[in-house]
Amino acid sequence: MEKKQITSSLWKRNLRKFFNNKLAVLGLAIMLVILFCCIAAPLITDYLPNAINLKELTQAPQSGHLFGTDKQGRDVFSRVLYGGRTSILIGVISSLMGSFIGVALGAIAGYFGGIIDAILVRISEIFSTFPQLILILVLVSIIGPGVFSLIVIFGVTGWMTTFRMIRTEFITLREETYVQVARAFGMSKRTIMFREILPNAFSPVIAATTINVAGFILSEAGLSFIGLGVPSGTPTWGNILNAAKGVDVITNFWWLWLIPGIVLSLFILGVNFVGDGLRDVLDPKQL
Amino acid sequence: MGKFILKKCLMIIPMLFIISVLVFFAIRMTKADPVSWLIPADVVVSEENMEALRARYGLDAPLYVQYFRWIGNILRGDFGKSIVGGTSVATIIARSLPATFELAFGALIISSVIGITLGVLSAIHQNGPVDYIGRFIAVLGTSMPQFFFGIIMIQIFAIKLGWLPIGGRTDPSVVTFWDRAKYLILPTLTMSIAMISTLLKYSRNSMLEVLNKDYIKTARMKGISEKRVYITHALRNALRPVMVIIIFRLPLLIGGSVVIESVFSWPGISTQIVGATTSGDYPVIMVTTLLIAATILVSSVLLDIITALLDPRVRLGKE
Repeated sequence: MEKKQITSSLWKRNLRKFFNNKLAVLGLAIMLVILFCCIAAPLITDYLPNAINLKELTQAPQSGHLFGTDKQGRDVFSRVLYGGRTSILIGVISSLMGSFIGVALGAIAGYFGGIIDAILVRISEIFSTFPQLILILVLVSIIGPGVFSLIVIFGVTGWMTTFRMIRTEFITLREETYVQVARAFGMSKRTIMFREILPNAFSPVIAATTINVAGFILSEAGLSFIGLGVPSGTPTWGNILNAAKGVDVITNFWWLWLIPGIVLSLFILGVNFVGDGLRDVLDPKQL
Repeated sequence: MGKFILKKCLMIIPMLFIISVLVFFAIRMTKADPVSWLIPADVVVSEENMEALRARYGLDAPLYVQYFRWIGNILRGDFGKSIVGGTSVATIIARSLPATFELAFGALIISSVIGITLGVLSAIHQNGPVDYIGRFIAVLGTSMPQFFFGIIMIQIFAIKLGWLPIGGRTDPSVVTFWDRAKYLILPTLTMSIAMISTLLKYSRNSMLEVLNKDYIKTARMKGISEKRVYITHALRNALRPVMVIIIFRLPLLIGGSVVIESVFSWPGISTQIVGATTSGDYPVIMVTTLLIAATILVSSVLLDIITALLDPRVRLGKE
């Protein structure tokens, strides 16, 4: 009972600290507005993202089409909203997956140490010396493009930060008295690692995971922009921006790239502000 | 110290071996038969002819034999041939790698100059106007997709103002240095933006940390002018960790050029890799990836050695 009170007051303190950070609150607001609009897309717009209307090709923004229409007469506003769903989904799931892998491997490496640690550290070094985009390109060429394969690829290539964080935390925490007591009680290694140590090592991971969401959304956009991300049938922010590869689009149809680009950048900005705010609250050691 | 360097250098060999095995098997284990890439989709080929084709390219041997043949050829300097164009991979690399290096070095120089200057000034005038401008640029650099920034630059400087070319690396009428340089400005600037923000944050933090040190206070107490305190005392110590970051960034820039090269139709190595990935040109993918991995590995080892030379704590503390 008493423990619960302590945690809740810590929670309250952290929440207050977070909400005192103006940038973090602004970021949260931007993020939530865009997220809400994307989730509620069918309620906000009547147009379907892939509905082609040959009577209204490349219309500039107007009352009927808030963000205009593209070269196939599709409503850009609707495409941005539906595209956001896929882009955000890819970012969130990949980031969670990357953190999950990083936490699991980091816990193992940090707790056991020795040869297991050495091997895992080497593997993470190999992964991080490779430029991520090149690694992703090779993997895309192996398993092919698509939403699902992008998530897998991002997860597999994006676990090194959390791995390093959790590993360092575990190395310090495993020598703590409470861990040795747990060991003396004969608790299983798994319980000690994930029930006893992990909760005390977890907070920096939350901030890192948030910031990774932004990174993966950017990677998706980049990959789809060069045509190796999500196939063009599914709208994503990257696929919408892919239209801007033609000089005629850049010159004549500014709404096809400027508006989606701004929405994407605003969302990333929001996520980054929230991530920085979380890091200030949860991980004071980091700069 | 010699032992430390030797150990680091020897580590490269097994790492390169592992990477080459990974690259080879990852790409060759895919379901797709390399031979099928050679034949247009609408042509029917008998199984016998397929076998003959496989034998001709040495694809009938077991995979591990193929691996040793491949790596042996590479060690002898024979990088194989593209299965799409038939050009030798060595030629492709020789043609496109300098273009990417040009871009990466240009971006490295621009971003170092701008990033460090702004970072140091932001630290000196903390919470002043420069600091706010710096923070704004840093946020911009991390939140905007590079290609989006590139498109905006094209729209403003190439299309609206017409000062600079839209893309490409050169054209037949090139004579003067300026003719070449103007092709380089937009891509390098676009490539720099993300790195400017990293360097800016890093050098700002590093400078702030140094400015709080006791020896800076001592220098000030001795009555040395502020300018001299900053230049001779603070800057030198603050920039050492920043230098390490800069060296470390070069390989990342080469990898990060993928999108930039696409936006500005820059004929670099990334364009080749993307092209090879879409067309399934596996000899090109394998060699280029291996080459990039090797470059990065070697430079990260060099980085380790430089860090150790600069700071004995790294050497004695960990190893």
